[in-house]
Amino acid sequence: MRAGQIYLIVALGLMAISYIKEKQRTRDALKATFKILYTIMPVLIFVFVLMGLIQAYVSRETIAAILGKQTGVMGILYAELVGSIALFLPPAVFPFGGYLHDNGAAYGPIAGFVFTAILIGVTTLPLEFKLLGKRFTIARNIFTFIIAFFLALFMGVVLG
Amino acid sequence: MKKLFKNDAFQFLSLSVGIALLIYAVEAAKGMIVVRTVYLTFFDVLDIIVAVSIFIGLFQVWVKPQTIVKLLGKGSGIKGFILVCTFPMLMGGSLFTLFPLLKTLREKGARVGALASFITAWGGKVPLLPLETKFLGWPFALLRLSLVVLFAFIMGVLMDRVGEKPDAANVNKP
Repeated sequence: MRAGQIYLIVALGLMAISYIKEKQRTRDALKATFKILYTIMPVLIFVFVLMGLIQAYVSRETIAAILGKQTGVMGILYAELVGSIALFLPPAVFPFGGYLHDNGAAYGPIAGFVFTAILIGVTTLPLEFKLLGKRFTIARNIFTFIIAFFLALFMGVVLG
Repeated sequence: MKKLFKNDAFQFLSLSVGIALLIYAVEAAKGMIVVRTVYLTFFDVLDIIVAVSIFIGLFQVWVKPQTIVKLLGKGSGIKGFILVCTFPMLMGGSLFTLFPLLKTLREKGARVGALASFITAWGGKVPLLPLETKFLGWPFALLRLSLVVLFAFIMGVLMDRVGEKPDAANVNKP
């Protein structure tokens, strides 16, 4: 059986338990689930199109030259920059990262991409400024970028 | 009509279709590669995406934001710090939904370090583990998750040193 099917069965099982315990709450959960699907599906499809574009126009060699193992530190920095700028919802980060890996990117740059794509968002900066303050926002994003770099470097070394 | 064009889902979908059509018009073979990639990947992840969305939906109704604020709000001791470096990993959502919750936490008196740890730990994204392991494998996912805890810890310590001086006017100081 595919892993996805197992997750789906577990999810439906939990849904059933939730329904037995509290019907109204489970209805709300179902609503939330559809809302999440509605939000992420279009973004995912867009990211899949991007993957298709890369598949059609960018060769494995090019990806390896930018994000491959021998690019070392620079590969991680490039990947972090892309991750910081890209407007990726978290669920789209992993398929894209996996796709890059299958096409010649090393684990280090991918880790850098994953960290920054989730934690740093140029698009969310205005909101963070507004809600958490300038000082906090600037410091947090800079620290995140730097620490993500070292952790990605470490992951690249460990995972090979 | 105006509303439709402002709709995110509509924008992403029309952009996707537009790009695919454009490529197909320029070079049909390349267009087919794009369509094929979208099709294969889509059905490859569909069941995982649905399962993950159910997990997050259930988490949202069973663990209310107020509960989280209560759980972490007063946590300034070592126990609170450990909690703030681990618990947010279980949450779904995007930065857009996270920041308002953090503002509440801050108003309740949480330290800047705790907020930074919270955001970082939230980046652990445990609900997305099915996706991560499928595309990047268990070693990558488990290593990343354990490093996220360390990451959250370091961020907390660093950000506490930065403190919150000038622009903390909107925060109730003790």
